[in-house]
Amino acid sequence: MSRKDTVGIIGAGRFGTALAHVAAEAGRPALIYTRAADIADAINRTHVNPRLSEYQLNPAVRATSAADELGDCARLVVLTVNSTDVRASARALGDVLDGGHILVHAVGALVGPEGARVSDVLREETPVLRIGALAGPTVWRDLLVSQFTSMVVASEFEEVARETRRLLSAPPVLRVYGGGDLVGVELASVLSNAYTLAVGMSDELDVGPGVRAVLVTRALAEASRLGAAAGAERVTFTGLAGLGNLLVRSSHESSTHSRDYLLGRRLGRGERVADEEFTEGARAALAGVSLAARLGVRTPVLGALAAVILGRLSAAQAAQGIADTVAAAE
Amino acid sequence: MRSNLPITAATNRLAGFNAQRESLLGEVEARILKACLERTAGGGDSSLEYLLNEVVFSELSRLESPRNRSEARQLSRWRDMSNRLLRMSDAEKRAALESLIRHYCRDIVGNFNPRVYRFAKDVVTPALSLLLSPVSGVRDGMAAIMNAGSQVHIQGPVEQIRALGERGTLVLTPTHSSNLDSIVLALGLVRAGLPPVTYGAGKNLFTNPFISYFMHNLGAYRVDRRLRFRLYKDVLKEYSTVLLERGYHSLFFPGGTRCRSNQIEDRLKLGLLGTSLAAFRNRAVSGDRDYRIFIVPVTINYQLVLEAQTLIEDYLAETGKSRFIIQDDEFSRLGRLAEFGRKILAHEGAVTLRFGEPLDPVGNRVDPDGVSLDRRGRRIDPTTYLLDADGQLAADPQRDAEYTRLLGDALVEGFHRNLVLNSTQLVARVLFDRVAAQARTRDIYRLLRTSPGSRTVVVADLQSGLDRLRARVTDNPAWGRVSPMWARASADDIIADAMRALSTYHTHPVAVRHGDHVHVEDMKLCFYYQNRAAHIPVEEQP
Repeated sequence: MSRKDTVGIIGAGRFGTALAHVAAEAGRPALIYTRAADIADAINRTHVNPRLSEYQLNPAVRATSAADELGDCARLVVLTVNSTDVRASARALGDVLDGGHILVHAVGALVGPEGARVSDVLREETPVLRIGALAGPTVWRDLLVSQFTSMVVASEFEEVARETRRLLSAPPVLRVYGGGDLVGVELASVLSNAYTLAVGMSDELDVGPGVRAVLVTRALAEASRLGAAAGAERVTFTGLAGLGNLLVRSSHESSTHSRDYLLGRRLGRGERVADEEFTEGARAALAGVSLAARLGVRTPVLGALAAVILGRLSAAQAAQGIADTVAAAE
Repeated sequence: MRSNLPITAATNRLAGFNAQRESLLGEVEARILKACLERTAGGGDSSLEYLLNEVVFSELSRLESPRNRSEARQLSRWRDMSNRLLRMSDAEKRAALESLIRHYCRDIVGNFNPRVYRFAKDVVTPALSLLLSPVSGVRDGMAAIMNAGSQVHIQGPVEQIRALGERGTLVLTPTHSSNLDSIVLALGLVRAGLPPVTYGAGKNLFTNPFISYFMHNLGAYRVDRRLRFRLYKDVLKEYSTVLLERGYHSLFFPGGTRCRSNQIEDRLKLGLLGTSLAAFRNRAVSGDRDYRIFIVPVTINYQLVLEAQTLIEDYLAETGKSRFIIQDDEFSRLGRLAEFGRKILAHEGAVTLRFGEPLDPVGNRVDPDGVSLDRRGRRIDPTTYLLDADGQLAADPQRDAEYTRLLGDALVEGFHRNLVLNSTQLVARVLFDRVAAQARTRDIYRLLRTSPGSRTVVVADLQSGLDRLRARVTDNPAWGRVSPMWARASADDIIADAMRALSTYHTHPVAVRHGDHVHVEDMKLCFYYQNRAAHIPVEEQP
């Protein structure tokens, strides 16, 4: 199959592997790039990713630990690494990608202490300009067991959305919608991951459905304020990347698999969490707070959440604080 | 194609312009006609009749109240066409379209007169030749600024740009503060050893007899900003595209008109700018993947701006609804122009032309050999940005518009980085900050209503503010730079120079020093000059 129909995936984690599998199921060759040669080798030999040993992958999923092979074989490349690895991965990839590639990321976090958006980091570290973001209420397990799910891809380039949809859409399992609000989709995804912790925390405090609903709606209102100040469209925050993402990660069925939700519950129990245990959502909360400070936007929910993560407030104090500030301000 | 030999003199590609003129126009006409016919083939709202109607309607409303006999004649011709339009056969419509395209092409097209170029080139040294100029109307005006050429300071990587001009085609994109910009640029290019460029100048400039002569004969083409319908814009853009494809160095003012507020332009007009990508793409698609176009941000930094008063009045009269074309400003009054030439331009450091780092058509930096670099400094082939899913070089209007937006962002960054701050802007910024702090608002309309007594600043505060501002600018190269004249001077010298300038030319002094105090006399002009540094964040209070 040709280069234009191949899906390149960077990162052999759970989501990247699942995405490659779905693309392959839909008849498109998928090539996973991972630095771990043993993982690549195992995928090629056994069609099983040792990190997800209970799932058999479609044989059209191949893997490589040679970055240039990825650049040569695929025009569309999807980045699915941890936010802490984004800059280094992008810098390395920059050597094998060129202006003809399309680079889409599925990283729901901001990067580094400065809280940079991933698309900006990709632009800084690679020669690629056709960049997009993929987000939505899709958990890797759903993709592997062929559950119906949807995502949204956003880019300032219509071609990016068009090509990503063409190559990743695999109905009835995965439907991909397209849009132009790159900033919105990136921030909605980041913030909904952060709010997943807050919901986990409130569930642990057993606040009941009413308070939970207030928390979710206030969080979304806050996120869209912050997004609008950053140049995003408000409506994006109630779409797949925002509300959709938050609902699935804090739902009864999938919450037990969500690292963010589980960390939220631990915080709710009053546990102290060390830096190295931070999830993407925890890092997103901290980065979101500094972004809000830079843009001069009030974000009581994020602020309280960050304070709990850093051990400056207890979950109960934070809940009270959020209730008071939100009520006072709105 | 590339050589490493130093290039000391630029080739004047415009010398052959007149010979190519007809074939160039023919190409523009053919392309526009083809595009129009393709677009209108679908009928309905995109039919040929609709297209012609839009032109006729726009022209009729422009000429609604004719100002002279020529306009009255035009009006009657358009009325006639309007009446005939509904009854026209398809063949007649097509003929009408062809004739309109030809009409607008001829209206726009420029000229290049090597004799005038040589003459203007000589302005720089023996100013005497000007006074012997046989051309009527030129002598008076030029005498006023005849020394200006020697006072235009040139900064930036000029040798690199000159070399790139031999290896590819240059697009100079300056900031735009004054109608004198055209003259300053023409003189500056000669001084910098850069080749002459072709550029679109507002048609209204051509009504000034003295400048019109130079404009018309130095490769300028006419842009009629009153014509805002699609056909005209298409013709204009295609003309520019063909010029760039054929290797004519060009110049656009990407801010559009003169900047009213004096802030560095950050909302650029992307239409003409986008023709650099279009030309690059067309050449690549036709098989020439080595053809290069380099876009150079340029800042024109005046110590004082000739039309400052008119421009800021216009800006403040109704922010955002500024007059589109101003015809009755200082520039149109020869007396004012002469005074400005004598009092201002003749002074050392009156105007600095700074060239920035060249960019490729998608906004990447380029190295001295003209090779595009990504932000990590990797060498990249810019034609890869034009590849589609099948690996073919192709046009994609939405993608290309987005690339041009990225180029625009890179240009704005380049403008900021290459801004040169003079004594007047430095002092105005510190004065404005102090007055604003005292009044607790930076809103200009509120500041204009404050009592004159509250606009006094202690000289010691002005001095310390200047030192801090200079230090901050030095620490942040992305904000610009302090003119070398003032980088190491004492704050006192800067204040003295600014006070002299700010009280010399404008009808009222902008600020006056009384012993230990400086009083802001004209808040609007203080605002205007400080605006040049408005992108520099307000200092945090300790």
